[in-house]
Amino acid sequence: MVNVLITNLPYLLRGAVMTLWLALAVVTLGTLLGTGLGILATGRSRIVRAAITVYIFVLRGIPVLVVMFLGYYAFPALGFRVNAYVAVGVAQIVYVGAFTAEIVRSAILSVHPGQIAAAKSLGMRRGAILREVILPQATCIAIPPLLNNALTAVKQTAYASVVGAWELTYAAREIVERTLASFQIFLGVMAIYFAICYPLSLLARWYEKRLVVSH
Amino acid sequence: MSEYLAQTAVLLASLWPKLVAGFVLTVEIAAAAAPLALVFGLVLLAPRMDARAFVSGPTVAFIELMRNTPLLVQIYLIYFGLPVLGFYPSEFTCGVAGIALQHGAFLVETYRGAIESVSTRQWDAARAIGMGRFTAFRHVILPQALMKILGPLGNQLIVLAKDTSLVSAIGVMELTMTGKLAIERSAASAEVFVAIALFYLAMTTAIGGAVRLLEYRVAERT
Repeated sequence: MVNVLITNLPYLLRGAVMTLWLALAVVTLGTLLGTGLGILATGRSRIVRAAITVYIFVLRGIPVLVVMFLGYYAFPALGFRVNAYVAVGVAQIVYVGAFTAEIVRSAILSVHPGQIAAAKSLGMRRGAILREVILPQATCIAIPPLLNNALTAVKQTAYASVVGAWELTYAAREIVERTLASFQIFLGVMAIYFAICYPLSLLARWYEKRLVVSH
Repeated sequence: MSEYLAQTAVLLASLWPKLVAGFVLTVEIAAAAAPLALVFGLVLLAPRMDARAFVSGPTVAFIELMRNTPLLVQIYLIYFGLPVLGFYPSEFTCGVAGIALQHGAFLVETYRGAIESVSTRQWDAARAIGMGRFTAFRHVILPQALMKILGPLGNQLIVLAKDTSLVSAIGVMELTMTGKLAIERSAASAEVFVAIALFYLAMTTAIGGAVRLLEYRVAERT
């Protein structure tokens, strides 16, 4: 019963490594993009604010799989010949960026306005207020939702297999097609995903509790 | 430019009946999975909050497994795994079951959070002014929990509506699959997915609006 899983484990683990690389790229770049946009979304320019609001609204309202298909077919249509990883990766970064931007924006807005008034009355300039007063407090608030966001992003990398990028889930389907051992293989794959995702879950929950205690 | 727009319009017009059919199936999947997930979450609530470890332990293990693995793999496990056991449910059933199982596992934590967030002092106060247990729950605890739960519940339903797109991976001809086949089998191109994205956006915006309306109603009544 378990033999099939053991003989195919090296192949699955290679898929898991690919999943980890994809997840690392998507989470890092998506969070960076979203943080930048989230900060800009609280700025003074009305046009920039409106543009980012539309970006967040649209991306959050459609499935990530559709965004991936859009990336996969739009790149060649626009004349760029990219491999499946780039197409799927860029789509996921843009998607994760929208969720991150919303988290960062609301974290910044949740900092008490009295803090900003106090900083202004001390004679601090805009840049300094953002850096020294707003961002440190907003970071504390944003960390738990950002970790949950990263968790969702890691799980979403599995959907890349539907579009045609080889990673853990793709590898699992190949093995199942060959061996027909669907139960063992998919349960094994679930265990691998769980090993990656559960620590992230625990970290997010630990941070949430700490935040509640400190308030 | 205008020529391009005209071509795209013709293309989308020719695909329109298929897209609408796909969208209807997407709505059907969501409409079948959402009530199942809501009820499944409720079913898990009692064993999840049970004081005995041999009841709550396995429940927590199941919930965590569902929450920390991709929905796609769960759907694959059901769709490719059940035939091994001698069951042959349809693609539609497998997809709906997968979505309901994962979202039920997320919803039970939402329910728990809302119930636990209503302070026990509210209970004590309601009982102290002479309310019976049922009256206290009906008029004090439930309205407050309901107010707190509607927002997260709405968000979960929006995620559920978007997750129906994963059922395309096991060959159900819903909206996403319709777009993929249109590109593979005809002259359609990436623009189809822009139209599909708008369909999904309309659906999620409608759910979001409905939940906000409900929140407003509940707030008005209490």
